[in-house]
Amino acid sequence: MRGDVWLVIAGMAVATYLTRAPMFLALARRPLPPRVRLWLRLVPLAVLPALAVPLVLVRDGRLALGWTNPALWGAAVVFVLAARGVNLLASVAIAVGVVALLRALA
Amino acid sequence: MTPAPTTTAPGSCAASVRDGLVGSLALVPSVFVYGTVFGGLAVQAGLTAAQVLGMSLLVFAGASQFVAVPMLAAGAPALAIVVTTYVVNMRHYLMAATLAPSFRGFRRGWLALIAHLINDESFAVTVARSRPPDACVYLGSAAAICGAFVAGVAVGVALGGLVERPERYGLDFAFPAVFLSLVAVQLRRSSDWLVAIAAAVLAVMLALVLPGNWHIVVAGLVVSVVAAVLLALDDTETSGEAEA
Repeated sequence: MRGDVWLVIAGMAVATYLTRAPMFLALARRPLPPRVRLWLRLVPLAVLPALAVPLVLVRDGRLALGWTNPALWGAAVVFVLAARGVNLLASVAIAVGVVALLRALA
Repeated sequence: MTPAPTTTAPGSCAASVRDGLVGSLALVPSVFVYGTVFGGLAVQAGLTAAQVLGMSLLVFAGASQFVAVPMLAAGAPALAIVVTTYVVNMRHYLMAATLAPSFRGFRRGWLALIAHLINDESFAVTVARSRPPDACVYLGSAAAICGAFVAGVAVGVALGGLVERPERYGLDFAFPAVFLSLVAVQLRRSSDWLVAIAAAVLAVMLALVLPGNWHIVVAGLVVSVVAAVLLALDDTETSGEAEA
């Protein structure tokens, strides 16, 4: 593992505290403007797919769209299960099992 | 927003703390297991036990910790990891703004500490119980959730060291799987789908050309800003209170 892990953890801690403390310490009664509220609600909706989908579809700098990509099937499984209201951890565990099985068969 | 009571009598606060604690017990098992999964995967990714526990106590934001571990393992630049963490956790601004008025009368030193405990689960429990949210209920819930998460991480750290060659069991796929499951449960409106798909497409295109995992922050911010400017506001935004 790289040598700057503690530095990264410290940076993450400061960055995260900056998302929690300022509004909390201000004790403001005035709510945030509606557009800002909408934006803050949309940020995770945009960031999480931006994070997850390249992990599934991009392998070694190339697009891996073929049906032999186990991660693609795992992604479909976890997405459908979670969207149907199956417990998140159960959805993840089943998808992980599917990926492991497909890798073992390949 | 109606004004919150400025202070709560100490006696009734103890009862509310217990309320918040008991009211959060239903969430304790899943938060504990979420922590266990994180601890196990983080150790397998190459972090030391101290680093995994240190991150969980100092950052205490599960989703962003899940984000950081594969980035750390893949050698992403430190700044990219920190900025991505910030963006993933920006949702805290909404929760902090909604909770803040209930904490009038608390000492600033305590407020600075309590702010660190803001988390999705306690927010949901507290806001579901009363509007405006009750500060003492919130404290009880935060204690339960925080304890469950850190205990879960500690167990995960102990178990994680036992598994060799995690990719054989598909465990590396747990990271994208967690992110995808979190997206799936948030898609309520058709505009939500549009935002998620646009971000995914832009991120994949950027990932093919940009070095260092910057595609996450760039795609996430560009798509959310464009959508926030273009989309019509609905009740949850105009009512002035965050949804649970």
